[in-house]
Amino acid sequence: MWDERVCRFILGHFPRPMFAVLHLADFPLQALLRTRADLDRQPVALLGDARREAPVIACNPLARSAGVELGLTGPQALARCAGLTLCLSVPTAEADAQAALLSVAFSLSPTVEATSPGVVTLDVSGHRADERESRLCGAMPRLVALGLQATVGLAATPLLAQYAARLAEPFLAVENHRTFLAPLPLATADPPAAVWPILTGWGLRTLGDLTDLSKADIAQRLGPAGLALWERAAGQTNRPLHPVVPAHSFSASYETEHEFETIEPILFVLRRFVDRLALDLANAALAAAALTLTLTCTDETTPSRRIRLPEPSTSADIFFRTLYTWLESLRTDNAIKRLHLEIEPVRALVRQQGLFDNTLVDAHGFADTLARATAIVGSGRVGTPFLEDSHRPDAFTLAAPADTLSPIEPTAPFWLRGLSLRRFRPPLPAHVALTGASPSSVWTNELHAVVAVAHGPYRISGDWWERAREWERDEWDVELVDGGVYRLVHETPAKAWYVEGEYD
Amino acid sequence: MSGHSANIPALRQLLAARFPTAVRAPASVFPVGWPALDEALGGLPKGALTEVICAAPSCGGQLLLGQLLRQTRAQNVRVALIDAHDAFDPCSWPPDWLAHLVWVRARTVGDAMQVADLFARDANLGLVVLDLRHATERELQRIPATQWYRLQRAVEQSNAPFVVKTPLARVPSAQLRFVLEGSHSLRTDSAPRLDLMGQLPFVPQRQRRQANVG
Repeated sequence: MWDERVCRFILGHFPRPMFAVLHLADFPLQALLRTRADLDRQPVALLGDARREAPVIACNPLARSAGVELGLTGPQALARCAGLTLCLSVPTAEADAQAALLSVAFSLSPTVEATSPGVVTLDVSGHRADERESRLCGAMPRLVALGLQATVGLAATPLLAQYAARLAEPFLAVENHRTFLAPLPLATADPPAAVWPILTGWGLRTLGDLTDLSKADIAQRLGPAGLALWERAAGQTNRPLHPVVPAHSFSASYETEHEFETIEPILFVLRRFVDRLALDLANAALAAAALTLTLTCTDETTPSRRIRLPEPSTSADIFFRTLYTWLESLRTDNAIKRLHLEIEPVRALVRQQGLFDNTLVDAHGFADTLARATAIVGSGRVGTPFLEDSHRPDAFTLAAPADTLSPIEPTAPFWLRGLSLRRFRPPLPAHVALTGASPSSVWTNELHAVVAVAHGPYRISGDWWERAREWERDEWDVELVDGGVYRLVHETPAKAWYVEGEYD
Repeated sequence: MSGHSANIPALRQLLAARFPTAVRAPASVFPVGWPALDEALGGLPKGALTEVICAAPSCGGQLLLGQLLRQTRAQNVRVALIDAHDAFDPCSWPPDWLAHLVWVRARTVGDAMQVADLFARDANLGLVVLDLRHATERELQRIPATQWYRLQRAVEQSNAPFVVKTPLARVPSAQLRFVLEGSHSLRTDSAPRLDLMGQLPFVPQRQRRQANVG
């Protein structure tokens, strides 16, 4: 007696097995529509294959309301609905939709089975009983954000949960499996084709009709297939889940015969990609360090770009904005038929800045601003200047701005004198009249002036040890009678005069 | 004239009292270390356009830019220079004054205006300078007034000073406008540059908002 009480106590504290199924009705059609913005609010039907007599295997509510039915051929469907768009399934879209479904499932439970395309089963035994419904229903908006409409079934066995998910609107929990199963039509239990006519011949219509018959009699008359059907109809079938392992790579692809000729449909698909991949990263507690987007054009060229993020992120908005900025500046000669996005995962950085360091307020926003500015003015024309260790005039390089600004060092003596130069790039070719060796007047397309004062020449040269880079010049600082101080340069080898800049 | 000038603060106070929602709060300013400006107004107004008219050649426009670079570096804030004609000479300045600079080497005034619109909205920048000093009158006339007002609205959100250098007055939405008049001569080539910066004359043409140091 004591042993029985202890056993009951222990069993009472073990969670009762519970399974949930996320089900996407008309999965191939949903997978297609979530990648095609142009088919929104249009009647659409999906054909089984590319043959003329191929049947319609799925259609959206608009097509259904126009009279399109499953099993019709394409021409028959078009006869009923002239505005109907007929499509074929897109395997890459289905793969991405399935991945999106798994992403949401992994955000609910670590034990997830990819039961079939558009159906995943989750072990939710670990959830508190009073929280299961709210958690599962809370996943619906995430699926909707990914472009998917799912239904959810919750039951004590995977099979019952799957039946419930098919009937749910959008959530259905099975409390009592007998009362749940009894009124369901026989087709729910997927009777084998050989058994189906026999059962209908007996006048059986529902699962309850079948389970009213003796299990032994059914097994005796219909054999193992009949026995399995009876057990499914009675809710006695149970099985362990076959869990899938969460993806270790974070990538998405899309390829279709419907080519991309403008940026908008590409962005629509990319938005789906980044939403899903951001969820994958969050599930894995990782962040993205870089994005690589590869496009394949119809002429098989593959423009590609790897974009390193300023700091690791899991934000889909940041991924999207980064890709958008690049695509805005991209021009291809041909339409694009394939997209492939890959994210390099990394553990999120944990760091502490110096107390007086100045970091970026919005690092991603800054990177985006710089990328957009670069798209406008051209690459290599935005950045922080660094002076080269050379006496060559105008010797500097541009580098990406630093993420962190360190405080300025104790001020070194400021030795510069006079005005600073404001350059003409390229220098203005000039005609210079000389009085003796000194410039007396200057003509360019913009300047016609008499020189009032001239200082020079300042002869400088460099790189004489490298013939290709060797340079030599005489510089004159001149003040014009009309006002203004300019730098004149006499390129000694070419014997040409230029106005290099204005002292300002 | 002086009587009229004395009445302006009183008129502002009267307007502020009668129409409190219509009158904007005094703007905070960014001291730039230029004595003439800092003493008159406290500095450049934040969240507003300041137009600097470089009316003569060698008037000291780059000296002012250098002073802005120096001051922003001392305060450790980032500064963006949108250089419409790629005229900035980094070799004229100490490397340490450039570490915080984002230099955009535009090719046209149109490109520079587009970049200015982006930078005006970026919260990471403590100062933005748009250099249109070499723009022709025709190029400046092509910029619609609405684009300047749009820029002003953008700058108001970022709360950074935005300086536009032009050869002539062309920024209708500028809250502060001053002129750098008079050319420097070649005699200044031996004067310490810091002294030249400090001696730049401040000739205001327009001041739309009361400044408030802070």
